[in-house]
Amino acid sequence: MNNYSVLVADSGETSRKHIYNLLMKRGYKLYQATDGAGTIRIARSINPDLIIMDVDLWGCNAQEIARIIEEDRLSTVLFITNSVNKINNDMLKQMNIYAYLLKPINQEQLYQMVEFSIFNAKKISSLSKKIEKLESSLEGRKKVDRAKGILMDKLKVTENEAYMILRRRSMDKCKSMEEVAEEIIKG
Amino acid sequence: MNSKALLLEKARELEVEFIHLQFTDILGVMKNVSITIEQLPKALDNEIMFDGSSVDGFVRIEESDMYLAPDLSTFAVLPWANNYKEARIICDVYDSSGTPFEGCPRNALKKVLKEANDLGYILNVGPECEFFLFHTDEAGEPSLKTHDNAGYFDLAPADLGGNARKDMTLVLKQMGFEIEASHHEVAPGQHEIDFKYADALATADNIMTFKTVVRTIAQRHGLHATFMPKPKYGINGSGMHINMSLQTLEGKNAFYDESDELKLSKAAYHFLAGVLKHAKGFAAITNPTVNSYKRLVPGYEAPVLIAWSASNRSPLIRIPAKRGNSTRIELRNPDPSANPYLALAAILKAGLEGINNSIEPPAPVSSNLYHMDKAEMEERGIEGLPVNLYEAVQCLSQDEVVKEALGKHIYEKFADAALYEWNEYSRYVSQWEIDRYLKKF
Repeated sequence: MNNYSVLVADSGETSRKHIYNLLMKRGYKLYQATDGAGTIRIARSINPDLIIMDVDLWGCNAQEIARIIEEDRLSTVLFITNSVNKINNDMLKQMNIYAYLLKPINQEQLYQMVEFSIFNAKKISSLSKKIEKLESSLEGRKKVDRAKGILMDKLKVTENEAYMILRRRSMDKCKSMEEVAEEIIKG
Repeated sequence: MNSKALLLEKARELEVEFIHLQFTDILGVMKNVSITIEQLPKALDNEIMFDGSSVDGFVRIEESDMYLAPDLSTFAVLPWANNYKEARIICDVYDSSGTPFEGCPRNALKKVLKEANDLGYILNVGPECEFFLFHTDEAGEPSLKTHDNAGYFDLAPADLGGNARKDMTLVLKQMGFEIEASHHEVAPGQHEIDFKYADALATADNIMTFKTVVRTIAQRHGLHATFMPKPKYGINGSGMHINMSLQTLEGKNAFYDESDELKLSKAAYHFLAGVLKHAKGFAAITNPTVNSYKRLVPGYEAPVLIAWSASNRSPLIRIPAKRGNSTRIELRNPDPSANPYLALAAILKAGLEGINNSIEPPAPVSSNLYHMDKAEMEERGIEGLPVNLYEAVQCLSQDEVVKEALGKHIYEKFADAALYEWNEYSRYVSQWEIDRYLKKF
């Protein structure tokens, strides 16, 4: 049915197995972890599409583990808990998914949330990749502009001519315009 | 603009929020006093105080006000902290009267470096630091396991340790380290990262930073990094080989002499002789734990005998083949549990003593020392390193040169702590004894 991989990280065996079995029926590729460090190790090995993580995971602070996982872009975390009091909303706002599941797990709700979370995570990840690309090209253009300015000043040429010089140099040296611009800025 | 103002501006520009003022206690544990950016100007004027009596081996309660004097050149942003931007500055410790505190290991090293400088030398040091990456168990406690139970999880074989090491290398680079090599070591789960040599003080600072980075990044990978010298019986332990060369104030390598057979200078031979002579004395400093001496046994590439060689890797000191500006000697017994400031101070002092008294080294050995029999060793006058921490502390107590390098305060506190450690260990009934004697007697 689908090829998404999900890691179920819950120290409670009953609850872990329950979620595991429910998701199994939907055809997800599933992994299990029983403690915080183990969760990180598996996340680093397989980069799952989603990690369902109990906030009471053993051996660690689950929120800290979740933060590392999303900071290092290993996966996206969906929290589960047996009490609303254990959820820190401020922390949750920093995460990819601003939602959590309350135990006992309701089958339909689980299916919906997992699908919704994976879909949203994909969207966020593709958006942030786009932003990064734009930022870096913007950064590059700024450099080229600065280098053009320096050339116009030094060689008393027009903007268009300065651009031609940069492009010529970039082709001659087999380097990107950005790299050539950097060299000129450094002097 | 002066350097303090420059640093302040830099910290503000980088939007640093927290600054960790770091110093190292006598046992080699890094301590932090954390401040916010608003307090940084105060810190740069050496006005940050802490309670010295709460630090192992520092002072008694009635003289406990200590001041931190930041070394501005050591300012670095910690690249892994994403929540708030954090930076660190390494500090010297001053007492309440404003004089360098004699219990501060960094001050002790500086003192010996000054002596070298007066003789016209700068000590360059390049360490080779080994460590193990182990898994943690379900309670988050470090274990001795290096692999997940493969049958339990259906996992593609991933080199978790290798990936963690890659991240460590990247972070170290961001902090200004020049990484020379990073590789898997002999034992399962054992790794080594080598960084470029620098003057002794910078290298000691770097070793402390290195350990922090390795531990932190390991944690982010769900692993536990340990610098324990010999975590597992029967496999290689972790060493911290120290590559050393003296440089003249004009920038030339003082260990190189083209006219000599081995192309080593007089100074190199005397330095080498001094280090050999005091090897027993400084062993307690370079190998400061009970566990250290379980690494220094035959058969695991760790040295046991006090000798030197231009080729063989079994003796205490090896002269790597490179000559010219790269001429150096490699001391092979130190391990990463050592306090790098004290270890370098003690080794340098021993070497300088050799130079001051023009001591001649014994003849080099060329055969594998592990295969040398007792009669041959006696004939050549080759002695062994101390076999345990107790003997090492005894040797230290008889070595006035090494004691002088440490200073009275550090020596006394250090020896007390080491003997306390030894006594605790001696009283403890270990699993080995139970397994051995419970049925037998």
